[in-house]
Amino acid sequence: MTGGAGGLDVRGADVRFGVRVGLSAIDLRVGRGERAALLGPSGVGKTSLLRAIAGLDRLSAGSVSVDGRDVTGELPERRGIVYMHQAASLFPHLSVLDNVAFPLEVRGLSRAEARIRAMPVVERVRLGPLASRAPATLSGGQLHRAALARALAADPAVLLLDEPFSSLDPELRADVRQAVVELLGDRVGPAVVLVTHDIDEATGLADTLTVLLDGRIAQAGRPAAVLRAPQSLAVARFIGIDNILPGVRDETNVVTCALGQFPSAGPAGPVSVTVRAGSVRARAPGGRGRTARVVGTLERVSGPVLRVRIDGDDVVATPNTELTCATGDLVELCVEPSSIHVIRGSEA
Amino acid sequence: MTRHRQRWWLAGVALWTLVPIAALVVRALARAWRYPQILPGAGDAWPMFGAAATGRLTEALMTSLVLAMAIGPASAVIGFTIGRAIARAPRPARRVGLALALFLVIAPPTALGVGLQVATLAIGVGGTLFGVFLAHLVPAAGYLTLFAVGIFTTFDFVLEEEARTLGARPWQVWSRITIPILRRRLAEAVVLGALVSWGQVALTLLIGGGVVRTLPVELLSFVRSGSDQLGALAALAVSVPPMLAIGLLQVGIRRTGATL
Repeated sequence: MTGGAGGLDVRGADVRFGVRVGLSAIDLRVGRGERAALLGPSGVGKTSLLRAIAGLDRLSAGSVSVDGRDVTGELPERRGIVYMHQAASLFPHLSVLDNVAFPLEVRGLSRAEARIRAMPVVERVRLGPLASRAPATLSGGQLHRAALARALAADPAVLLLDEPFSSLDPELRADVRQAVVELLGDRVGPAVVLVTHDIDEATGLADTLTVLLDGRIAQAGRPAAVLRAPQSLAVARFIGIDNILPGVRDETNVVTCALGQFPSAGPAGPVSVTVRAGSVRARAPGGRGRTARVVGTLERVSGPVLRVRIDGDDVVATPNTELTCATGDLVELCVEPSSIHVIRGSEA
Repeated sequence: MTRHRQRWWLAGVALWTLVPIAALVVRALARAWRYPQILPGAGDAWPMFGAAATGRLTEALMTSLVLAMAIGPASAVIGFTIGRAIARAPRPARRVGLALALFLVIAPPTALGVGLQVATLAIGVGGTLFGVFLAHLVPAAGYLTLFAVGIFTTFDFVLEEEARTLGARPWQVWSRITIPILRRRLAEAVVLGALVSWGQVALTLLIGGGVVRTLPVELLSFVRSGSDQLGALAALAVSVPPMLAIGLLQVGIRRTGATL
């Protein structure tokens, strides 16, 4: 992954949990103004990696550079990296404005000067009228926006966001996510690393996606590329690909699976075919598609999907708008060949 | 519990607390008060204290105050530093730390005093105010270590970590974040440390060797020599300052609005 000029450059980082190696050989480059998402299951070591990058814990191997300067042995306050904890920990004894002014004051500005400079940042996160309020009187979303303002007031080269939305309900989550997009959309701003286990959050906010599985980087790339072409079954499962179907590739580079036959270059043998539900359309029978039987309907935020059975395999498909069907009905499936991705090896 | 019964309980507790204090006040003001008199006679009121006795009490009061005012902050600093380290330590080290702090609190002062006597004599401070200060510091720091472990077990260290990454150096984190957040607890700790020193008799006698005379030591001396009236006066002098300290602490907490 190649970032813009400067920013964060982590090379060969190992993170240990006591005597056990948690993450190993982690490379991460995030340019200034770029947003990278670290995605992985709970306990994989995402937070430990962020803490080590921030200098709050030690890396057992590897290096961290910020804007081309090696900061591996530096104290946290000298790295130019701000770490934002998931709980939006504002200092409870300071007002919102004093919280935002804090990084300026500790750099030597007088209290009055720091407050003058902090006020525009407070207003940027739409908390101007609440500037004199104590953190205990703010809502969850306001707390997060204030914490974000405080982080930006420090003018960091790198901003680490550790699951910033996980403690918020859906409405507040959207509000804070919007604030992140507005505040961190600046291309000359900090390099941002966002830790999450929510794939939608990661793809919605980040320019690049790094999937951590089993202590290593399982895949890294642009979100669309990772979603469309997971490199392993583990990644496919983790990012929530709806359909992972067993198939076989013959010597003529044709893959056969429950959804039909598709061209795919590669060695012959068992494969897994991945395709998202949105790329499998269900319509009334009568065309040239494959016929499947509806075994259930699922309601999702994006709309209803059908669970259908075809050749003994279950497939999740998106019904066409005009389609009305019930469990037991027959439907016809249509798949865009370009949406099919083939991974060597089979789950079976 | 009904409100009526609550009132009776409160009255009982008040009586239990106030009767000994009232008896002390009466005894301090009466020249003589002997059995079977329920109260001293009118002719026995308004005692005449000797200048020597008053001087001894004043001197002892000053010694106790100096010790308490030194022990309070010193033990708070030691207790909070060690307590914080114990609270953040891994479990085995934490248990050892807690056990050691607990030992200083539960060990009888006479037993602790014998060891401390040997130590203070060895470093040449036996029989001095400084030696007594060091001796009082041991149980006071023990109490405040346990007190601080309780505080730091629930303290949100993320605040300190975020402050560091926002650019604050360790001393700025202490002065701008940790101490202001814990100011109420620190004030309580200073008072608690001072009170531990204020009530010490055994350690003062063993380490001070009769040269360093605090209020409790003088109180004991008056009672043993049969000077009941002076003993009562000394007992009042020992009892009132702690109550004043607690009262002032409460007022301070209310005024500053310290919450933690």
